[in-house]
Amino acid sequence: VPVASSPIAEQAYSRPRFRLSPSLANRLTIGFAIAFAVLTGLAVIGVARFLDQRQEFEDATARSYQLEIEARNRLARGADPATTRPEILAEQRRRHALRDEITSETRDTALLVGAGLIAGLTGAALLFSGLISSMRRPLENLVEGSRRLAGGDLETRVEVGGLQETAALGAAFNEMAAELQRRAGERDQLDRMKDEFVLTASHELRSPLTSVQGYAELLMLDREKLSPKQAETVEVILDSSRHLVRLLNDLLDLARSDAGRLTIRPEPTDPAGLIEDAVRTMRAQFEARRQRLSLEIEPGLPAIEADRDRIRQVLVNLLTNANEYCQDGASVAVEARRGEADVQIDVIDDGPGIPAEQLEHIFERFSRGDAGETQRVGGTGLGLAISKSLVELHGGAIKASSTLGRGSSFRVHLPAAPQRVEVA
Amino acid sequence: MARVLLADDSETILLLVRTRLEMEGHEVQTAADGQEVVDAVRGGAPPDILLLDAMMPRKSGIEALRELRAEGIECPVLIVSAHTGAGDANGEHAGLGIDGYVDKPIDFDALFAKITELTA
Repeated sequence: VPVASSPIAEQAYSRPRFRLSPSLANRLTIGFAIAFAVLTGLAVIGVARFLDQRQEFEDATARSYQLEIEARNRLARGADPATTRPEILAEQRRRHALRDEITSETRDTALLVGAGLIAGLTGAALLFSGLISSMRRPLENLVEGSRRLAGGDLETRVEVGGLQETAALGAAFNEMAAELQRRAGERDQLDRMKDEFVLTASHELRSPLTSVQGYAELLMLDREKLSPKQAETVEVILDSSRHLVRLLNDLLDLARSDAGRLTIRPEPTDPAGLIEDAVRTMRAQFEARRQRLSLEIEPGLPAIEADRDRIRQVLVNLLTNANEYCQDGASVAVEARRGEADVQIDVIDDGPGIPAEQLEHIFERFSRGDAGETQRVGGTGLGLAISKSLVELHGGAIKASSTLGRGSSFRVHLPAAPQRVEVA
Repeated sequence: MARVLLADDSETILLLVRTRLEMEGHEVQTAADGQEVVDAVRGGAPPDILLLDAMMPRKSGIEALRELRAEGIECPVLIVSAHTGAGDANGEHAGLGIDGYVDKPIDFDALFAKITELTA
């Protein structure tokens, strides 16, 4: 099943990179979270200890200054310098010792806090990236899965994993894909049943129609024994049954086309002979309405790769439309010429033309001229849709153009048959 | 003129085709299913041409033809089918020596031309 994807997005999402499995990433995440908590705790304890020690140091220093000041006061009031001076020096030494101690303790605490903070930050970074990577893989899978699904691969499913949320998302995606697949299956089955129904109905209707048409023809063989009124009645039966047959054939072609069972057997064919054949088939209908039917074929047209019956069907359809939709006495021209690598066949009329809004949809099934016209014309509204399918099966194209009040023109392109290379 | 063995499970169609064929001067024997076709061919002289409906109850025209071919009956055969344009789509009729397919509703002029061509 082809999967649609743009090259840029492809590059962005499927660049090969090292990935942890979602479950391992989960465990790592928990581990890092614990380490992060422990180390952050250590840092907090360190800061608290530092503040505590600082307080102790300041208290001790203050006490030492107080003792020194008291000693100096005693000295000033005439105390014995021999005992007081050593006291002052002792206090000064004590403060030195205290400062040294607090400096080394501050350094230790700073190291502890620093180490704690660094480890904590690293832990936080790892925790974060662990979280990201445990979400990224399932999300990437979802993006790829969505693209495959959009490309028509209804069997696509994603691996469910990662965090609880991404796992739930994955499961929901799979549920959706399964539902789409189930509905597509139902739709296919309905389509098959419809095709089967049309084929069976067409078959079943054909038998009674064979009788209606056959017996009406039988009556017409004894036409001279019928009253004019009776003969006219039988003509109506015959016309109607032929119309029914046409309708059945069109429906059948359409059902086959839908089911992909409309097939052609192309072989190298002389386009001139084929076109002349179709024109000959239609000559009587044109004469009946005093319409001019001209034919102009460029000499030396290349052979086309064509299923004769099917291309004749297309041309007869175009000519039937021209015949039925144009006024009495209209002119219809069939022209065939060589294209670049194809043969172009034009059917040009000077009839009433087709309004632009109808022209747009003219190759869609049941697209027909306005209601008043179709009552009179009585086609099936399927002819052009089938013609388009048939021409496209041949690798060709069909186009319509029209000017209101001036006429319409239909052009069929049919690819030329590959030239046979003569091997010497 | 030809001796035609005609098989169809619809009586009205049998009567219709028989009437048209007899008007053309052919001698017509009819069968309502594949078994009657086999019995009729075994019971008498083989006809000049077989005109068989493809789908019939009990035994289809194709099955009847397969039996007859196995017994060495070699007359020409036209298959009448309501499946227009069906022909031998699946290649199931290979080796049965079918000379042509006739769509329903029947184009009698084309049918007469084919019979004349095959029994000439």
